Amino acid sequence: MSTELFFVQLINGLQYGLLLFLIASGLTLVFGVMGILNLAHGSMYMVGAYLVWYFVAVTGSFTVSAILSAVIALGLGILIERVLIQRLYNRNHLDQVLLTIGMIFVFNSLQSILWGNDPYGVAVPEALSGSVPFTDNSSYPVYRIFAATICIAIAAALYFVVSKTRLGMLIRAGESNREMVEALGVNIKSLYTIVFAIGVMLAAVSGIIAAPMRSIVPGMGESVLITCFVVVVIGGMGSIKGAFVGALLVGVISTFAAVLMPTMSNMIIYIFMILVLLVKPQGLFAK
Amino acid sequence: MIFEKRTERIFLAIFFTIALCIPLFLEENSFFVGKATTILILAVFVMSLDFLVGRVGLVTLGHALFYGLGGYLFVILTPEYEAVNFWVYAFYILGLNALIALVIGAVVLRTSGIYFIMITLAISQMAYYYFFDSLEFGGNDGLFIFMKPETSIFGLSFLNLDNPTHFYYLALLAVLVTLLAIKIILRSRFGRIVEASRLNPERTAALGYNIFAFRLISYVIGSTLAAYAGLLFALQYGYVNPQFMTWEMSGTALVMSILGGMGTIYGAILGTITYEGLLYLFEHLSEDWMLFMGSAIILMVLLLRKGLAGYLEKLLEK
Amino acid sequence: MSRIKTLAGAVLATTLTAGLSTSALAAAGDPVKVGLMLPFSGIYAQLGEAGRDGLKLALKEHAEQLHGADIEYIELDTEAKPSRAPELASSLLNQHEADFVIGPVHSGVAMGMIKMLRNKDTIMIIPNAGSAAATGPLCSPNVFRTSFSSWQPSYPMGKVALDKGYKKVYAISWNYGMGRESLDAFEESFTAGGGEIVEKVLLPFPSTNFQSHVSDIADENPDAVFTFFAGGGAIKFVKDYDAMGLRGKIPLLGSGFLTEGTLQAQGDAAEGVMTGLHYAEQLDVPKNRAFREAFNTEYGHYPDIYAVQGYDAGQAIANTIDQLEGDISDKQAVISTMEKLTIDSPRGEFTFSRAHNPIQNIYLREVKDGVNVVQSIAAEALEDPARGCKL
Repeated sequence: MSTELFFVQLINGLQYGLLLFLIASGLTLVFGVMGILNLAHGSMYMVGAYLVWYFVAVTGSFTVSAILSAVIALGLGILIERVLIQRLYNRNHLDQVLLTIGMIFVFNSLQSILWGNDPYGVAVPEALSGSVPFTDNSSYPVYRIFAATICIAIAAALYFVVSKTRLGMLIRAGESNREMVEALGVNIKSLYTIVFAIGVMLAAVSGIIAAPMRSIVPGMGESVLITCFVVVVIGGMGSIKGAFVGALLVGVISTFAAVLMPTMSNMIIYIFMILVLLVKPQGLFAK
Repeated sequence: MIFEKRTERIFLAIFFTIALCIPLFLEENSFFVGKATTILILAVFVMSLDFLVGRVGLVTLGHALFYGLGGYLFVILTPEYEAVNFWVYAFYILGLNALIALVIGAVVLRTSGIYFIMITLAISQMAYYYFFDSLEFGGNDGLFIFMKPETSIFGLSFLNLDNPTHFYYLALLAVLVTLLAIKIILRSRFGRIVEASRLNPERTAALGYNIFAFRLISYVIGSTLAAYAGLLFALQYGYVNPQFMTWEMSGTALVMSILGGMGTIYGAILGTITYEGLLYLFEHLSEDWMLFMGSAIILMVLLLRKGLAGYLEKLLEK
Repeated sequence: MSRIKTLAGAVLATTLTAGLSTSALAAAGDPVKVGLMLPFSGIYAQLGEAGRDGLKLALKEHAEQLHGADIEYIELDTEAKPSRAPELASSLLNQHEADFVIGPVHSGVAMGMIKMLRNKDTIMIIPNAGSAAATGPLCSPNVFRTSFSSWQPSYPMGKVALDKGYKKVYAISWNYGMGRESLDAFEESFTAGGGEIVEKVLLPFPSTNFQSHVSDIADENPDAVFTFFAGGGAIKFVKDYDAMGLRGKIPLLGSGFLTEGTLQAQGDAAEGVMTGLHYAEQLDVPKNRAFREAFNTEYGHYPDIYAVQGYDAGQAIANTIDQLEGDISDKQAVISTMEKLTIDSPRGEFTFSRAHNPIQNIYLREVKDGVNVVQSIAAEALEDPARGCKL
């Protein structure tokens, strides 16, 4: 592999990893703070992608559609938490698994009913549709650079919120000792609603950002779900920093594996995860 | 008595009575006998999972690996156009599967909780990819089993596996044997230590028990029962496909077991029948059957705190 | 006493079996039962729906050919899951006693169906699954296909590449039956004419992580790229290829599914892509124009290849019933009639090979202004070699 190609693949891997982080961040946040394993997380990613496609078809503007879709996703998150998730706080993990699996069925069905089963695409917004000349033969799409930048920005924002704001303090407190936070008079119910809604919105936003770079098809939620879990587990459940590092590692490794050993590339990620778990059974940045 | 709860005894009595009679009413209609057979086979698979998840405390999303292996090992070990002896080969397959489970278990049982779930999922997915990619084992098209095995013991054969009714009774026998085996194990000293290690691992370890060993043996038992179910599943229609070992298959079994009432074992039978029954109903009702299925699952989780078995027990136990 | 018992037994047996008649094929006047085993949910749902819509349109249009029989449809959602295939096929065969079983889309499901249905008392027509085995080693008298074999669309593309002067081609697809068989077919004709496959990449199915491969292609700099992808994967690959600036620099060739049902989502990225398929939406055949308008009138959107294949399955059924004047109770007669049919398809006329696969033209298409424009006939009346079939 030439150094030029190596460099290109490294960029590809990091960009993919950043997107993975965005998808996984919501999952690990919700689990870390609330102890909820949301298997329908992939469905939220799908909802974001379908919503932005729909609104772009209606309004023609990607920016407007993106904002609209994100807001709807936030509302959806609040609704789901209030109506369904809330009832499960005192139940065991497996009941949560079952409920969220039921939700997957419902969302897949709603997708089919509302938007149909044809594969869709979202055009890259005009302003970002150029490419930057890269190598002799290829050029790097501006949109991918933009997407990577957004992911970094959101990661920075999350870091800022979690470590520097009162909400973040409550999140960190809730992660380490739920009962104590409650006993201290914090309205844990509202905290949970906010956190869950943010988790859902993060997933949807990743779907929105990814939409122009992929095809929008039935089942797209399930296909990111597993990778998402792998990232979170490698990083350590509940750790956003872990999710960031885990995502970049998974992104780079799977990108290189894809070209160096294509047929085995799907196994590489699992092998990597197993190796990490054998050395650090709670993930890299376990709590 | 191994069936302590009144609800359990009532349910099982009704279940086995009906199950024994089903082929008598449906003699000519081999589809329904076939469907009932598949449900029984699934019940064996789900009971083995319920044992591991509900009683031993090992939540695995890779259980379908052994389900798929049961069928694949048969195809790999037997000649294509010759009818082998079912009992002999079942013994080989289950034995080989137990060895595989031993090796896998020795690795995965070092983790716990969500990490255990993920590592078991990873291993089953890797096996799925292996069989999916492999041309020798049929790849994504799967493989046919052309000759069903014969079932003679010391020269006496009374089951013809090509006959759907006979196959049905073989599956029913498997349900009975699995149920009894799990119940007896749970009642034994071994079983009680295993459960103690689920309820309070530190204390059980402090008492000097090697929890790892107990869990490993339980894992092997549960996986081998799953392989037996998988063997029957493959033999029923003579077809194996890598899709039998995916995490979706494991997940569906998990749903059935939670729905039925985690840990009750008889609940696994109830959960399988209910899930398959609802699926059949909704699929024939509407093209949007998934919406009904998902809503039904959500409703049941919210309303039935301990699954269907839990609900029945609330009604029947005084 | 015993004679009464015997009589009672006979009466009982007769009444029990009277309602459970097992004759699977209808006599004249009974409804014709058409069972559908297609995916109506999940990633392949679009293909399943298209196939069903095409089928129903054909049977509606050809209603007078049915000689007064009604059609009873039984639709089962396979979810493209092979584990349910034999059971669903058993339902259609044994429970519903379907005269014709149409399906599936997915090759794994096809295998499960064939296991159940081959040499049984029903006619199976495959409206999509291209796996070689179905009209190869596992061919059976009662299994027909109105779609394609994986070899057909890709084999002629080798010669196309040679004619255009491409010497070094980079081949890429998914690592499963259809992907491998497509690349092998291309390689067969391409290397026979002196071409060289510089790299043959098989990605795990259904991974859409193409970015690294597109970069690799740019680095390798072949004369052209040949690929098989379909559906969402096709959309993403073509878009990624374009986004990296390779469109126009390195010609992209493919099996036709790369640009079927995907052009709207692909947009400008697909311009100039050349593919081989047994159909093109703008094919200048009168039957095609009529079909497209009829489909649009009925369903509100224009059809694609998947609908055409379903439509032709319906035509095969209708033509057979017509030639047998409504009496399809003799399965052998149904088979021998269907075997000899010439289907007046929107893709051009085709007949069945001895392995019951269509002998059809493969068209070379190029995407221009968002439409697959037919450039030439890449191969005329191409017959799949049906390797391994003993019919």
